[in-house]
Order: sequence, then structure tokens, then C-alpha cells
Amino acid sequence: MAYFIELLVNGALVGLMYALAALGFVLIYKSAGVPNLAQGALVMMAAYLVWYLGSLGLPIWIAIAVGAALMFGFGLLVERLLLRRMVGQPVIMVVMLTLGMEILLRGLIPGVFGAAPKPLDLGIGLAPVIVADVFMNRAYLIGGLVAVLLIAASMLFFRTRLGTKLRAVSDDHVASWAVGLSVERAIGLSWGIAGIAAVGAGVLWGSVQGVDWTLSTLLFPAIAVVILGGVDSIKGVLVGGLAVGILGSVIPGYLDAMVGGSTRDVVTSVIILLTILVRPHGIFGREDIERI
Amino acid sequence: MTGLALSNVEVVYDKVFLAIKGVSLEVGEGEMVALLGSNGAGKSTTLKAISGLLGPERGEITRGEIRFGDTDLRPLGAPARVDRGLVHVLEGRRVFGHLTPDENLVAAYRGGKAERSFEELRDEVYRYFPRLKERARSKAGYLSGGEQQMLAIGRALVTEPKLIMLDEPSLGLAPVLVAEIFAIIREINQKHGLTVLLVEQNAAATLEIVNRAYLIENGQIVMSGEAETLKRNPDVQEFYLGSGGKVDYHAIKHYRRRKRWLA
Repeated sequence: MAYFIELLVNGALVGLMYALAALGFVLIYKSAGVPNLAQGALVMMAAYLVWYLGSLGLPIWIAIAVGAALMFGFGLLVERLLLRRMVGQPVIMVVMLTLGMEILLRGLIPGVFGAAPKPLDLGIGLAPVIVADVFMNRAYLIGGLVAVLLIAASMLFFRTRLGTKLRAVSDDHVASWAVGLSVERAIGLSWGIAGIAAVGAGVLWGSVQGVDWTLSTLLFPAIAVVILGGVDSIKGVLVGGLAVGILGSVIPGYLDAMVGGSTRDVVTSVIILLTILVRPHGIFGREDIERI
Repeated sequence: MTGLALSNVEVVYDKVFLAIKGVSLEVGEGEMVALLGSNGAGKSTTLKAISGLLGPERGEITRGEIRFGDTDLRPLGAPARVDRGLVHVLEGRRVFGHLTPDENLVAAYRGGKAERSFEELRDEVYRYFPRLKERARSKAGYLSGGEQQMLAIGRALVTEPKLIMLDEPSLGLAPVLVAEIFAIIREINQKHGLTVLLVEQNAAATLEIVNRAYLIENGQIVMSGEAETLKRNPDVQEFYLGSGGKVDYHAIKHYRRRKRWLA
């Protein structure tokens, strides 16, 4: 039983950290209406940036702040240089564009900064936190807390006037232009914010597993989270993250011993598949409203 | 010259398709002008050329001048034109379906650039369209067609326009709703001096409320004049108002069926 609870709790915490990686995807989808398949690479890039700034001698907290500012700028740049050309193009173009960006960054960033895993020490420490006989990974615990905070902040953000404008842009680009909203600026802003979310995910995951290209493979669980939760729902990120994390921890916890390991990715794939079959818009995703 | 002036505007889609061929028209300040024409005549294209919304449809103004007051609009993007006081209510309403009516209005509010507070503007919209207030909590996508049209107009009013362009507000609405919406447009025009450029297929209802009208056909303005004059024009009566009385189609000679202004 204690084993089960441990799997459950740590799975939930990992799930929250998946949610953090998925948050950038949802932020962009909710405010610009485009899928961002480069989110994994953004997370990796953010981790590399923070590591690099730290290796220059900056204290880690300042490195994180500077990294967030740089990633925000990078998001704006992506919109200005790439996405602005996609206006009026079918959404598949954006999918291909972001996928291409993911692949490019996956190769380019380790190429520039070095492919060997780099340590990123947040000063969290490695000793597990023990509550009532349940061992919890300290880094996951803090990661989960940060994830909840950032998700809550995003929820509040979309209630503000600026957030409402971004939601309007995701609904209808042409109608947004017609009432004076700058679609370009909204998309740039959403990419910038997603860049900041990527810093959160990159730093926390980087501190857990080291900074190297494998951070970009977080894209896969992140996609599972957003498909399950609903691509445009912040609440969905939270619930989807918890579900993917818990299922991806509990099921392999028992199954791995029987089949010889690595069932986590199978579980993730099955979640994606089942969601698309049973409820294509996810748990909290919006259905397109169509009046007949 | 205040107001809107188009001179010899030509729009090409996809670099090949010539949609409007040298359209010139003027809308004076405080006036209410209609642009009438059938499907595919170039009405919506003309409006999009004015509001700067051709880009997403790969359209381009290849010739001509568009001035609003003293400003040349052609170099400006769509949001900058809204800042100048020009707003476009799109065909098919295009409300933000996943937002509530309230949020639709918030999205259009210009924030720091606005002269009046949001609450003031919102209350004004709800005064014109009390129905919207009743539906303030449901998502705009679930509103009825008429309510959505009211919301689209209300949303445009929140941008504090000097000139509002309406693209077929009567589309798909019951006649009683069309009358209600037209009455409100007229009221806004008269009370607040808001200039209105109304694009319609519904010529009969439109000519009742506008001062002047232009007739567009095949991308060209073929006729213009005071609403009263146009209403009496036999061609307009025959082709737009359908008030030619009972016509024996066998009796009229073939050439009579052709529109005189294109002959």
C-alpha cells in the first residue's frame, strides 16, 4: 500500500511538472489559436540558456530571471520572423513550421552549447522529503508547487482585459483585426509568455535530469497532457498533467517488473489514443460552437 | 474634406483575380450611405479595402487612393485604421463565439487610447441592445442570429468609431429583426452623428433609411444618387426592389431585360 501511495504521490508531482511543460502549448493555443509543436525544444533551449548564464558566474536566480527575459524575447522574435508569414495560411502550415523549429532547435542548441549533460543546481538538495512513510522526491515537490503557481497565474491572466483580448484573437483573427486588435502582437505576446513558461519547465526538469537534448522529448508527455486536458484549457493542463503523471507512474510501477520496463511511454501513447477516440476535444477543451 | 473618399480603387486577389475595378465613392461626415449590389459584385471587397482586411485573403490594392479625413489609409494596418475611427462589422457577424457578450465588448475596448471608460461604453451598448444584457452570461456562440448581429454592432461601437461599416447586417435575419436593427443604426447615426456605410443586398429596406446609395456591379459603381432618386429609377425598381408590378415576361422584349446602365 505504501508503495502504491508513493507511486501515486510522485506520479502526481511529475504530472504537475509535465503540466508545466504543457502550459506553453496551451498558452499559445488559447491566445493565438495555433498549435506549438516546438514547445519541447523551447523547454530545452530555456534550460540551456539558464545553465549557460549560470556558467558565466551569474547566481542561479538572476540567471533564471535573465533567461526568462531572453526567452520572452525569443518568443517575440519567432512571431516576427516566422509566424507573421503564416497569416492567412492553413493551420497545417503552422504545424509543419513549429515541428521544423523543434527539430532545428534540437540539433542546433546542443550543437552550440555542447551535447554532454550539464548539471543545473537550484540548491534544492537531493534528500527526499518523507511524510508519513511516503518518500517524495524533493525536486519534484518543489516543481509541482511551482507548476501549480504558474498555472494559477495563467488562469488569472486570462481573466484580465489583456487575457480576454488574447482569447478573442484565438477565436477569430479577422474579426480581431476588424475591431482593432493587433493579431500579430497578440501572437508574439503569447509566444513570449510560452517562452517564460518554458523557463519554468526547463529549469526544474534540468535540475532533475541534467540539461541535454533529452529535455526536448518532454514534448511527448506534454502533448498527451494537452490532448487529455483539452488543447485550450488551463484547467485541463492541471487535470491532464495529474492524470498523465499518475497513470504514467502507477501502471509502470507494477507492469515494468512483469514485462521488463519502459511501459511509461506506452501508457502515454494509450492515453493519447483513447482520448482522441473517446473525447477528441479533451476533458475541458472547447467544442467548436456551430449554430444550425 | 472630412469623411471617407475612395478614388479609383482596384483590388486584386491572389495576384490574378480583379475583384473591384476602379471604385470611387465618398461618404461625408455624419452621412448614411449604402453600397448596394448582388452577390459577388465587390461590396465586401470594397469594405475590406477600406478597413485593411484584404491581407488574410491574399487580396491587395493595386491602384487608387483611400482617404479618411486627411489620412491616407493605404499604408496603415487594420488596427491603426480602427484607431483613426474606422470600424468594420464583418459579414456573417463573426462574434467571438467562446467569449461572453461582455467579454466580446472587453476585447474591442481600446484601453489607454479610449476616450471614455469601458463601463460607460458597455452601458451604452446595452442601452441600444437591451437583449444582450439578458444574455450577458452565455457564450456568444449560442446567441441567436439577431443577438449576434447586435453584439457585432455593439462590439464595433466600443471602439468609439467615427465611421462604422456594416456588411450585410440583415443576412439571415427575420424581417422584424432587420427592421429593429436598421432602426437602431439610424438612431445611432442621427443622435451621435456617426457616419454609416451600409453594404446590403436588401435594397428595399436599405433605401428607406439611407441618405444616398451607390450601386455596384461586377466590381464597378454603375449608379449613385439620393435614396429617393434611386427608388424611383425604373431599373432599380425592376432589379432590386422587385416592385415592377405584375409583369408578363413573354410580352417584354429580350433587350428590356438587360440592365440599361451596362449596355
